[in-house]
Amino acid sequence: MANNERSERELSASSGVTRREMLIRGGATVALAGAAAIGAKLLYDPVGDAGLQPPPAIQLKDYFGKIKAEYPASAPRISTAFGRPEYLESPDKIAQMVRAAIGGLDEKGGSLGIRRFISRGDTVCIKPNVGFDRGPALGATTNPDVVRAVIRLCREAGAKRIIVADNPIEDPAACFAKSGIKAAAEAEGAEVVIHADAHDAPVQVRPGSPDPARHEALGTWPIFWKPLKEADKVIGIPPIKDHNLCFASMGMKNWYGLLGGRRNQFHQAIHNIISDLGFMMKPTLIVADGTRVMMKNGPTGGRMEDIRIGGVAGAPAIVASVDQLACDSYCLQKLLGRDPANLQYLQFAWDKFGGDASRIVARHWQEYHGPGLVVEANV
Amino acid sequence: MRITTVRIIVQTIVMTLFMTFVFITTFAHLNEVPALAFWVSKFLEIDPLVSIATSITTHTLYKGLAWSLVLLIPTLFLGRFFCNWICPYGILHQFTGWLFNTRNAKAKIDSNRYRRLFQVKYYILIGFIVAAFFGSLQIGLLDPICLLHRSLTVSILPALNAGSNSLSQATEGTALRTYGDWLDFGDPRVHQLGWVVGFLLFFLVAMNLVIPRFFCRVLCPLGATLGILSRFSLWRIERDPKKCTDCDLCLQSCEGASDPHTKLRKSECFVCFNCIEDCPHDALSFALLPKRNHEVAWPDISKRRAALAALGGLLFFPFSKLSGRTTRDFSTKVIRPPGSVEELEFLERCIKCDQCIRVCPTNVLQPAMLEAGPEGVWTPIMNFRIGFCQLNCTACGQVCPTGAIQRISVEQKLGLGPYEQDGPVKLGTAHYDLGRCLPWAKNIPCVVCEEVCPTSPKAIHSEYRQLLVRDGKKQIVSATPVTVTLADYPNPGQAFGERCTFKPNEYRGDRTTSYHVQIIHRDGTSETHAILGNDGDTLLIGELDESGEVVNGSKFAKIPVRGEVAAIHLEFKVPKIDTELCIGCGLCEKECPVVGDRRAVYVTAEGETRSQQYLERDRNRSLRLMKG
Repeated sequence: MANNERSERELSASSGVTRREMLIRGGATVALAGAAAIGAKLLYDPVGDAGLQPPPAIQLKDYFGKIKAEYPASAPRISTAFGRPEYLESPDKIAQMVRAAIGGLDEKGGSLGIRRFISRGDTVCIKPNVGFDRGPALGATTNPDVVRAVIRLCREAGAKRIIVADNPIEDPAACFAKSGIKAAAEAEGAEVVIHADAHDAPVQVRPGSPDPARHEALGTWPIFWKPLKEADKVIGIPPIKDHNLCFASMGMKNWYGLLGGRRNQFHQAIHNIISDLGFMMKPTLIVADGTRVMMKNGPTGGRMEDIRIGGVAGAPAIVASVDQLACDSYCLQKLLGRDPANLQYLQFAWDKFGGDASRIVARHWQEYHGPGLVVEANV
Repeated sequence: MRITTVRIIVQTIVMTLFMTFVFITTFAHLNEVPALAFWVSKFLEIDPLVSIATSITTHTLYKGLAWSLVLLIPTLFLGRFFCNWICPYGILHQFTGWLFNTRNAKAKIDSNRYRRLFQVKYYILIGFIVAAFFGSLQIGLLDPICLLHRSLTVSILPALNAGSNSLSQATEGTALRTYGDWLDFGDPRVHQLGWVVGFLLFFLVAMNLVIPRFFCRVLCPLGATLGILSRFSLWRIERDPKKCTDCDLCLQSCEGASDPHTKLRKSECFVCFNCIEDCPHDALSFALLPKRNHEVAWPDISKRRAALAALGGLLFFPFSKLSGRTTRDFSTKVIRPPGSVEELEFLERCIKCDQCIRVCPTNVLQPAMLEAGPEGVWTPIMNFRIGFCQLNCTACGQVCPTGAIQRISVEQKLGLGPYEQDGPVKLGTAHYDLGRCLPWAKNIPCVVCEEVCPTSPKAIHSEYRQLLVRDGKKQIVSATPVTVTLADYPNPGQAFGERCTFKPNEYRGDRTTSYHVQIIHRDGTSETHAILGNDGDTLLIGELDESGEVVNGSKFAKIPVRGEVAAIHLEFKVPKIDTELCIGCGLCEKECPVVGDRRAVYVTAEGETRSQQYLERDRNRSLRLMKG
C-alpha cells in the first residue's frame, strides 16, 4: 500500500510538469520566437538586393587646400636644382639638391622650405615610383636618395608618421627591396606599406560613370587606400621616364601606382586616365626626380644605354613644384627634350582641372616663366 | 628527467625549427639574408629517401643531399628514431592523434597491435624504388617531408594567411592597428587544386582516429626505408621475460605498433620509449646488442607481394611514358622555373616538395596536376594568369634541394657578364592570339604588353598601323582644300549614300590614336591626310591663313570631287613579338587586359633553352630552327 502510494507520487512527479517549470519552458519558447521575429525584421530585405550594395565610396582628401590658401602670389611654382653628374654617388649631395629645390619655392627672402608644406604632427604619404624590380642605377624607379632626402625633410618639419607606398607591377616586396627604396625609407624611420588587394577601397573620383566623350576614365575605382587613409599630406616623387604608350611618365602618371583593380584596361584610353589621375589627386607637393632620366625603352628600361643623367639638361635635376600639370610640361621639355604641345594628356588635364580654384595650375610651364615663377639654381 | 620528456622537448624544438624554415622560405627573407637558402631545405636534405631515390635516378648525389648521412648513420645504430624524434610529419600525427584521442586504455592497447596492413609501406617503397631505376622519381608523392612541405605551401599557409588577413583588416583604424599590421602578410596565395592537397592532409590526419599513426605505419615510404635500415641497429627495446607479466600495458602508447610485449619488430619501432615508461614492472629497457632470438629483425614482407609491387613500379614507367606527355604529346603549358633541367632530367630530380612554389615571389609557380603527365603531378609549372617570372629573381633554384632547378645566378638567368655567350634563360615564347588582341582585332588601342615587357630592348615592340574604322568607306559629297564632306558608301542600286552623322570630333584622336582619311581619286591616285577634327558630316584636315597657306595640318593636293571614295582609318600601335628577344617571363600574359582563360598574348614552352641541347627529344622545338 505504502509502496503503491509512493510509486504513484513518483509517477506524477516525473511525468507531470510543475508550474515553475512550465513557466520557464514557455518563457524560453516565447523568447526564442520573439528573437527570431526581431532577427527577421532586422534582416528583412523586400527587394533582395540589400546584401548586394557595394560599400560606400570614399572621397579623397584635398592634400593641397591649406597650402593653396596661404601660398604667396610671388612664390615660385616650379623650382629646379641642378647638380653635377658626380653627385649621384653622394646621398648628401642629392639631399642638398632636394633641399635647394624645395627651398626654391619660397618667395624672395622667405625661408620656410619644407615647412610650408609639412606641419608638425602631420602624417605624410610619400608616393615614389617603385614599379619594377630593378636596381636604382637603371632609373626605372625613383632614386632612393631622393626619397631619403624628402623623408628627412619631412621629419625636420615635424611630421609624426611618414608612409612610403606604391603598388608596383612586379612583386611589391621585391620591387621595394631591389629599388633600394625600402632600405632608404626604413633607415629614415618611415613605414613602407606593401600593397595587397585587401588594402584597396573604392574611391569616388567623380560622381556617376565616367564619360568617354569628355575623356574621363574614372568614376569610382579601387584605390590603394591603406597608406592614404590616415595621411594629411601627399608628396609625389616621380622619376622622369619615357613611356611606350603615353609618351612620358612623370608626375601625373605616378598616381597610377595608387590604382588597384584591373587597372591595365586603362591603357585603352591612356590619356584619359592620366589626366583623370591628375584630376583625382591634389598633392601637397611634387618632387620630380630628374637624376637618371630614362630616355627610351620606357617605362621598364633595363640597360644603362636607356638612361641619361639629367636627360637633355645634362645635369641631374630635382624639380619641386606645386602644380603637377606645369611640372609635367616643364620636365617633358627640360629633361626629356620633347614638346609639351604633343602630349595629349596635358591638354586633357587642363580641360579637366585648369579652372579649379582649389589648385595652382597653368596650362604650360612657360606661363610661369614670364612672371619669374620658375626658378633654377645650381647646387 | 624522463626520456619521454626529453623526446617531447626535442620534438617541440624540431617542429618549431621546421615550421620556421618553411615560413621563411620566401623571396623577401632570402633576399634579405641569402645565407638562409643554406638552411631552409635542410629537412629535405637529411631525408635519406630523397638522396637514395635521386641517386638512383640521376646516378649522382646532389650537393646538400650528402646531409642525409647525418640521419643514415645514427639510424644504423639506433633504429627508426627519426620517426618519433625528428620527423615533423610524424610529430604532427602523434600530436593530433593525442589531441583527438577518444580511446580508453583497453582500446588503445588493441589499436597498437601490429597488423599485416602495415606491410603496405614496404610495397609502396619497392614500387617507388623500381620506378626510380627507370628514371621516374615518385617518392615525393608520399615522402613525409615532401608531403608536409607541399601541404603547408599550397594549402595550410595560404589558409592561415587568409585568416590573419581578415584579423588584420578588422583592426584597421582602431588602436590595435599596430598589432594588426603584424598580421598583415599580404594577399593569400592561390594554388591550382590546392584544395586537393589540403583535404589529403586533413584525411591523413583524421585517419589517426581509425588507426593511430596511420600514415607512419601504413603508407610512409621513408619509414619503410628506415625500417629496413633498422635491421642493423645495435640498440633496441628489449623485454625481460622473467619480469614481464604479459599485461600488455606497453602497447598502450606504442607509437609504431612494434610488439614490444613479445618479440620486438625492429623495423616498426619508432624508439619513442613510451613502452619503457608504461611498463609497470620495469621489464623493458633500451639495450645494446640484446639476444637475436628476442626480435623480428626484418620487416614482415611477403616475397610474392613484393614482386607484385616491383612489377607495379616497373609498369609505371612504360604506362606513364607511353601516355606521351613527356614525348610527342608534350604540353607547352609545362613551363618550368628558370634554371630547370630538361624535362626528362627534371622528372628524375623533382621531389614535388614545392619549396620553389613557396619561395616564388609572384605566385606564378603552381603544382601541376596532369599537364606534365602522370609523373609530373605536383611538380612546379608556371601559370601566367596568376603570376609571372620576375626578371631579377632566381629564388626557386636557390632552394631546390635536388637540382631539378639549378642554382643559377641572376647574371646567368639574364645572360649577362660571363654568360653573355649563352644568352638569357628562356622559359618559352610569347604569342599573340590576333583574334583576341584588342588592337589587332577590335580597333581598341592597348599595348600594355609592350609597356611591361622587361627585356631591353623590349621583345614586344609595336608599330603604327592604319586600320579601316567600322563602315569607314565613304563617298565624297563636296570638299574644300582642307575639308571634305562625306556620305555613307551607297548600297547597290543606290546612286548616293545617306549623309554621314559623325559625333563631334569623333575622329580627332588623342595622339596615341590618330585618324586619317584616304582619298581615292578617280584617276587612281590617292592621298592620305591626318584628321584634325570633324562635325556631323565633314572632316577637317588643316587650317589655312588668309593667304591660303597651311598653318596647321595639311591640305589636299588635288581637291576631292563629288562621288570619289574616301576611307577613314585609325592609326595606333599594334604589338608584335621578337621571338629572339622573348624570354617567356609571362609578364605580358599576366597583365593582358583580355582576361579570359586564354589571354590575347600567352606564353608557351616553345623555344625554352633547357631543351636546346637535346636535339633528339620531342620537346626540342624551337621556333626558329636556323639562326642567323
